Amino acid sequence: MKIHVKVNGKDYTREVAGNRTLLRFLREDLGLTGTKEGCGAGECGACTVILNGKTVNSCLVLAPEVDGGVIETVEGEAKNGKLSKLQEAFHRNHGVQCGFCTPGMLMSVKSLLKIHPKPTVAEIKEAIEGNFCRCTGYQQIIESVLDATGQLKPRKEEIRRVR
Amino acid sequence: MLHEFSYLAPRERKDLLQLLKKHSSQARLLAGGTDLLCEIRLGTDRPEVLIDVKNIAEFRGIAFSEQDGLAVGAAVTCVELMEHPVVRKRFPLLAHAAGQIGSAQLRNRATIGGNLCTASPCADLGCSSLVLGARVELVSARGTRVIPMKDFFTGVKATQLKDDEAVQRVFYPVVAAGAKWGMEKLKRIKGHDLAVVSVAIARTTQWLRVGIGSCAPTPVVAADLPPNASVKAVTEAALKAIDPIDDVRASREFRLAMVQEFIAKLLPALS
Repeated sequence: MKIHVKVNGKDYTREVAGNRTLLRFLREDLGLTGTKEGCGAGECGACTVILNGKTVNSCLVLAPEVDGGVIETVEGEAKNGKLSKLQEAFHRNHGVQCGFCTPGMLMSVKSLLKIHPKPTVAEIKEAIEGNFCRCTGYQQIIESVLDATGQLKPRKEEIRRVR
Repeated sequence: MLHEFSYLAPRERKDLLQLLKKHSSQARLLAGGTDLLCEIRLGTDRPEVLIDVKNIAEFRGIAFSEQDGLAVGAAVTCVELMEHPVVRKRFPLLAHAAGQIGSAQLRNRATIGGNLCTASPCADLGCSSLVLGARVELVSARGTRVIPMKDFFTGVKATQLKDDEAVQRVFYPVVAAGAKWGMEKLKRIKGHDLAVVSVAIARTTQWLRVGIGSCAPTPVVAADLPPNASVKAVTEAALKAIDPIDDVRASREFRLAMVQEFIAKLLPALS
């Protein structure tokens, strides 16, 4: 069937098969390979995109289901070759290790910041509950989000507090 | 890769019922897809037709009246349940249970109808809805029937739903003001996971009910206990209702122990 979607502000009309997932549609039909496939079963969150304002695992959504939908992916972050504020904060705080979970992490965090512009650590943890980082770099990811929202305490202070 | 199937998205209820009649056992109803698409991907289910119910008005929305109670469309998502002001105020156990499911991404898609029709023994909306005395509305081209949820579940991932039927709505009777509730869900990790054991308790001035998940082939409820029942009495009734197994998540013994632990923790906190 023919579907029409808006992805990162750009309109696309494509013919899709019933069994095409949103993930494969983005990657293979639109060439937007920023979104990754991890488990393919809704466990890992690597394929997270924002569909009509809500995060979804794009591996568990069919392309024909999103006809008329508005989709945001990691490709919508950087503008004119300049990283978004959130991406910069991930870069600065080593929130990226192997990078496979990053596109999904960014989408979950972006969605969180729309509701909580200054999230607590607990709110950040809850928001990324469905995004696995197999490098286990969660601490840096949380710090990246705190930094992006102007809440990161200087590192020395953090260390002292922990001791 | 998913095997080839047709995707149909009727907009009218009558069209849905005709499609169900036509395709019958070859069709699966698609709501959130968070269980169904996993089964298809694994190859454990190979339907020829997927019928999306999300565009049909009768399957959407939440309605409430003091007379009829709460009616939740089968395609209502967990997040819609969690955020709905009437559900939060009058059926807080239901809003809480919806928040226990999966991760944010899954809760944005997963639906109440899907959670109930998947009929996993660990369904979070199963044990909580049983405690709330829910009834399920089944529709087909042959007509409509409404059955108590405790009769809806018939076994592990098995329900009374016939091949040509769909769950259209779930009904919850009004819960008297002053009702107390509590729910505990044990998971292997702090993040999203299926319940190892879950226990939901609700008490009004008239009755006390305890619902248990992951401890029998279906979610179960020990209902109609007196509101002043002791921890001992409630535990006895609960243990009588369950028959847990050893599986990848926990042993039978551990589950039996955790049910007792949760009841001892939840019940005194209700008063």
